[in-house]
Amino acid sequence: MSLLSRRDFIKRTLAAGVASGLVLSGLGKAAEGATITPRGTFYDLTKCDGCKGLKVPRCVSVCREENSFKFPKPAEHIEYYWPQKKKEDWRDKKDLTTRLTPYNWTFVQHVQVKQDGRTVDVFIPRRCMHCDNPPCANLCPFGAQSKTPEGPVIINPNLCLGGAKCRDVCPWGIPARQAGVGLYMKLAPRYVGGGVMYKCDLCYHRVKEGKIPACVEACPRGAIAFGDKEEMREQAWKRAREIGGYIYGDKENGGTSTFYVSPVPFQKIHEQLMAQKNKQPNPTAPGFPGMPVGVGNFLDSVNGIAGALLVAPLAGTFAAGYAAYRTMKGEEDHGG
Amino acid sequence: MADKILVRENKVRRHSVSVLFVHWAVAISTILLIFSGFGQMPMYRRYMIYKIPGLGWSADFSVTLYMHYVAAAVLMFAAAYHIVFHVLRKEYGILPGRGDLKESYLIIKAMLTGGKEPPSDKFLAEQRLAYAYIGFWLLVIIVTGIIKVLKNLPGINFTGNTMIWVTDIHTFATFMLIFGILAHLAAFLFKANRPLLRGMFTGKVDLEYVKHRHPLWYDRLVKKRAQSPGSRERAANLPQDMTV
Repeated sequence: MSLLSRRDFIKRTLAAGVASGLVLSGLGKAAEGATITPRGTFYDLTKCDGCKGLKVPRCVSVCREENSFKFPKPAEHIEYYWPQKKKEDWRDKKDLTTRLTPYNWTFVQHVQVKQDGRTVDVFIPRRCMHCDNPPCANLCPFGAQSKTPEGPVIINPNLCLGGAKCRDVCPWGIPARQAGVGLYMKLAPRYVGGGVMYKCDLCYHRVKEGKIPACVEACPRGAIAFGDKEEMREQAWKRAREIGGYIYGDKENGGTSTFYVSPVPFQKIHEQLMAQKNKQPNPTAPGFPGMPVGVGNFLDSVNGIAGALLVAPLAGTFAAGYAAYRTMKGEEDHGG
Repeated sequence: MADKILVRENKVRRHSVSVLFVHWAVAISTILLIFSGFGQMPMYRRYMIYKIPGLGWSADFSVTLYMHYVAAAVLMFAAAYHIVFHVLRKEYGILPGRGDLKESYLIIKAMLTGGKEPPSDKFLAEQRLAYAYIGFWLLVIIVTGIIKVLKNLPGINFTGNTMIWVTDIHTFATFMLIFGILAHLAAFLFKANRPLLRGMFTGKVDLEYVKHRHPLWYDRLVKKRAQSPGSRERAANLPQDMTV
């Protein structure tokens, strides 16, 4: 090590740093390049009346028909989630259409909001918002969820173990769990896993074929528009300006592909929804989402430190270069 | 080489400050990563770990995920430091070589039966193997972890199949690593290995231990000492059996 120079060390250290940088940027590029344009949905709440006169709104009933082949088919006997004395089993409530369940992927909420001295009825079809950066899919510990290039966020029912983390990190708690079905039944169903999570996949089987989701097609009042996401966003903003209304879903959770336009502020809608939820027999039960305005993304806090995280190996590289130079220089000086 | 015989203390300096830093940074960050990683599974609510006093936070994904990121930064800093530091210093003594499997078997057999071990260099054959095993799985975890971090960023989306592979390799590698860590700790069930334990805290091991168990290393240390300037003066201070 007698031919050691400061310049050599800086060169070697820089080369290692650049190599790491290239690896990282290469990975970033590999993620781009999708040619399919994302789809979006625009709900015009000034048009939706919850299908007055029908027992079940059309969007809900056609969704159930269209997607019934994907619904859970659980085993007869379902164990508790050891060591707890509970299990999430919706088999006896398959007919429920007033909340999200593994057998009901969309439903219509109804609130009455006071606005300028009058009461406005607002009907809100609810389902997965298909977020731009979905924490549910990103944080699935088994990679069982993904965002497709077309926009829908989908759950792989053959891989999902039903830990329900996706529901916890979703600002609306959308995915619903059915026990007694899925991969965990082949492992140790008493001790590991909890079932499979179910939610709207935006009729992905239809979207892949260039068709529109069943709910969009069935809406008798044309309250749901589906198409190129940017177009939907534009339409929503245009409509909001026309009526002096409000928009929901554009900024929430870091951006979604679902845009609601309402004549009344969503803050008021959210308050009404929460009041309704609190009156339910079990107010903490999932499946009845609110509309928190400007709600953040679960990943915001860690993404804030992701830069520091990715720089850590480079910092280690430079620190090591400095330390190695110092120690070797020292050994040289002392004849080491 | 920072290694040298410390005559007055009757010890040998085995690890530099850099090595101690890397070992403990990796150990502590890995323990935190494993704990917070299991929190992501999610396990602590299901198995009611969060009800243990003081662990109420463990079921909160936002806490365990943040912890996972911070610990990952420490691990990646230490891993990069380790590789670059030793490559620059051309120190490769811990990399496994041909015959290490057999030699490792002979050492373990000798520890169990009380027989004579083959002479070792600075690192025992099983230490070289353990290093390669743990290092390999740590690298797999780091690479898949980086992809997972990138995927969490807005605007970056990998295909579903890619993420299944990346996620499940990350998890599988963690289980392989845990197995390696348990084996690493189990090494200290053998009395013969215990002098090394103190070395990982102080950087120094007993001279007598080195002479008997690491004679190849000891010979090199003695040679190095003889070659260094001022060796003649120092030789006068060496115990009889160390004079060269």
